[in-house]
Amino acid sequence: MTYGVLRLGGAGYPSLLAQLHDPPARLHLRGDPDGIFERPAVAVVGARSCSAYGAQVARTVARELAAAGVVVVSGMARGVDAEAHRGALEAGGTTLAVLGCGIDRDYPARHADLARRIVSGAGLVVSEYEPGVEPAPWRFPARNRVIAGLSLATVVVEARERSGALITADFALELGRDVFAVPGEITAALSAGTNRLIRQGAAPLLVTDDLFAALGLEAAAAPTVELSDAAARVLDLLADAPRGHDELVRAGGLAASAVAAALVELELAGLIAEADGVHRVTRIPGRAA
Amino acid sequence: MGGVLARATTHALVGLEARSIEVEAHLQRGVPAFAIVGLPDKGVQEAKERVRSGIASAELEWPMRRITVNLAPADLRKEGSGFDLPIALAILAASHQIPLDMLMEHAALGELALDGRIRPVPGAIVAAEAARRSGLAKLLCAAESAPEAALAGIEPIPVRHLAEAGAYLRGRHEPEPVGEPPAYAGPPPPDLRDVRGQERARRALEIAAAGRHNLLLGGPPGTGKTMLARRLPGILPPLTREEALEVTRIHSVAGALPAGQPLVPHPPFRAPHHTASTPAVVGGGPGPRPGEATLAHRGVLLLDELGEFPRPSLEALRQPLEDGMVAIARIGGRHVFPARFLLVGTMNLCPCGARGDPGVECSCSPARLAAYRQKLSRALLDRFDLVVTVPRARSQEVTGAPAEPSSAVAERVIDADRRLRERPPPIGEAAASLLARAVDSLGLSARGHARISRVAVTIAALAAAADVAPEHMAEALSYRSPSELAVAA
Repeated sequence: MTYGVLRLGGAGYPSLLAQLHDPPARLHLRGDPDGIFERPAVAVVGARSCSAYGAQVARTVARELAAAGVVVVSGMARGVDAEAHRGALEAGGTTLAVLGCGIDRDYPARHADLARRIVSGAGLVVSEYEPGVEPAPWRFPARNRVIAGLSLATVVVEARERSGALITADFALELGRDVFAVPGEITAALSAGTNRLIRQGAAPLLVTDDLFAALGLEAAAAPTVELSDAAARVLDLLADAPRGHDELVRAGGLAASAVAAALVELELAGLIAEADGVHRVTRIPGRAA
Repeated sequence: MGGVLARATTHALVGLEARSIEVEAHLQRGVPAFAIVGLPDKGVQEAKERVRSGIASAELEWPMRRITVNLAPADLRKEGSGFDLPIALAILAASHQIPLDMLMEHAALGELALDGRIRPVPGAIVAAEAARRSGLAKLLCAAESAPEAALAGIEPIPVRHLAEAGAYLRGRHEPEPVGEPPAYAGPPPPDLRDVRGQERARRALEIAAAGRHNLLLGGPPGTGKTMLARRLPGILPPLTREEALEVTRIHSVAGALPAGQPLVPHPPFRAPHHTASTPAVVGGGPGPRPGEATLAHRGVLLLDELGEFPRPSLEALRQPLEDGMVAIARIGGRHVFPARFLLVGTMNLCPCGARGDPGVECSCSPARLAAYRQKLSRALLDRFDLVVTVPRARSQEVTGAPAEPSSAVAERVIDADRRLRERPPPIGEAAASLLARAVDSLGLSARGHARISRVAVTIAALAAAADVAPEHMAEALSYRSPSELAVAA
């Protein structure tokens, strides 16, 4: 395992991070930093106990960013963070996990495998703490400042009223970087923090093009997939709203077996995902209609 | 020395088998006494009191002699109350109240009431078969046991009372003829017509029935998971006579045959409560006795609220799920009970039950959720070929028109079952490449791969297709164990 250290003011230290008013004196790395810090990076952060909606938006946004060559930065926590890393890996992209403990700690333990995949996928696990430092809650806000500092823009996917992800957004605003918030239902506690961010002036993330425009980048062309008639019909219905299998049978006038086959076709094409029996489209509309 | 010896033949149950037992009664001069030897258990010892009272109640004479009854072979432990009748008859023959040669032509089985009535005992069909095999043509048994014994191809002599048995053996009573067992007259199994909506779960039941695939129904409480599971026996192919006899033997030994219904007519349905002990689920005890897994042989075993069952019970089910039988090792030998059943499990998606219900917010902590799901080991979850989430039905479904009845579904199942046995459709090239693609992107295990192929073959058979097409494979993939049921995401 390659561990490395970058010193503030030394060679290779990320220039974006140096713009923080208290940048970390040292940045410990697990993995090969070759050119990663020169590439555009976007943070995707949010709640640990996110909803199926939040998980899928995080994954999709990260996937599209990574496919366009953007480095996806997050904190490797449960929920939105982990989904963001997974989305980037799914697209074969580069992702960067910022820890609030030593880079050898594998925290949380269940994400030890995720950390290995991040590193073997030409990504990095980084921390301002020495190897061996144990995780502690009071280190997480400081960790969030590193996430914001490494990123050109920060996307908050789901956050409660008092959420660590909002701290990351605050650091990003202090640095004068773009902050995007994914709007949610006004009745959902999990979206209270993100909706408030929007009221306070954060850009609502409605289409991924907004994000690419802010970064001055082009989105990777979405691969065109040929769908069967049944799959196309089911995708149309799901574009209206997430639905269960049985609703699709009634709304689409299709046999139960045909709907089941269509759903698998769409899932394999990466167009939909399922949680607790409810299917929803994973794509965010590319551009404003 | 001296004295008088008489013999009667009966049968003792050992697991699902019956062993021939010779009941010897020896009457000697001396102080009147009554002893039973030959490894009788407590229940057989108590036969003394029932036999004495029964003989007196039948207005026969209790010999004032020293009576010794021996049950041979003496090394086999004897259990149960079916020895009452043969013991009484051997004593009556030894005291010359009935002709011994006549008794020797019969096997006998039955419990005595204190007033001399003869009661049925479990396992009559098994005892009757053993009697026929040992060359006896007639079985003296309780009237209630007679139709069951007739299934074994022996002539049952139904006797209601010990006096009647005595009269028959003396040639003074004609036994009533025992006809064919009556056609099934009980309530039909619950019908799928009662299930509104639930298109996906209905489809999964049909596939499960056609290919004998184990089915896991997940979803919030009150969505009809149990109701759906109870409708599975009604769409299974009917039992052949051979299968019906096999099931009847098991249920007879367990004392689970419905009264007046000697032949089990439908695939059995068993739903043990989650408080049932492990031996109650898979079989056991000193006997040993068949458990729910064996009682569900050729039928359906429903484990309602799978997550509530103790882990050892669930793990013990892995053997029957794999091999279709339960092997129980005892010092006296190894007993093998058939247990080829279709397993249906139901579970909430989380401990509080709210997950999967759009109207309620789940209050389970991630740790609690993980603990709940960890209880179901990967190895057990891997035995479920079909996993379906049952959503809460909407009000318009509940008030909708009646759905397709079980009889229509059963026709398709029977056709598919025949195709699967005669010539299962081969997996087409396009379907195979779809599966290969899915294995990569969904991360399926080798076992998952094999399971999905099997389900796809069943789906193609239901569609009467020549081979497995991509749409069959795609549908099969939709019933795979979803990631959220997997242990630790």
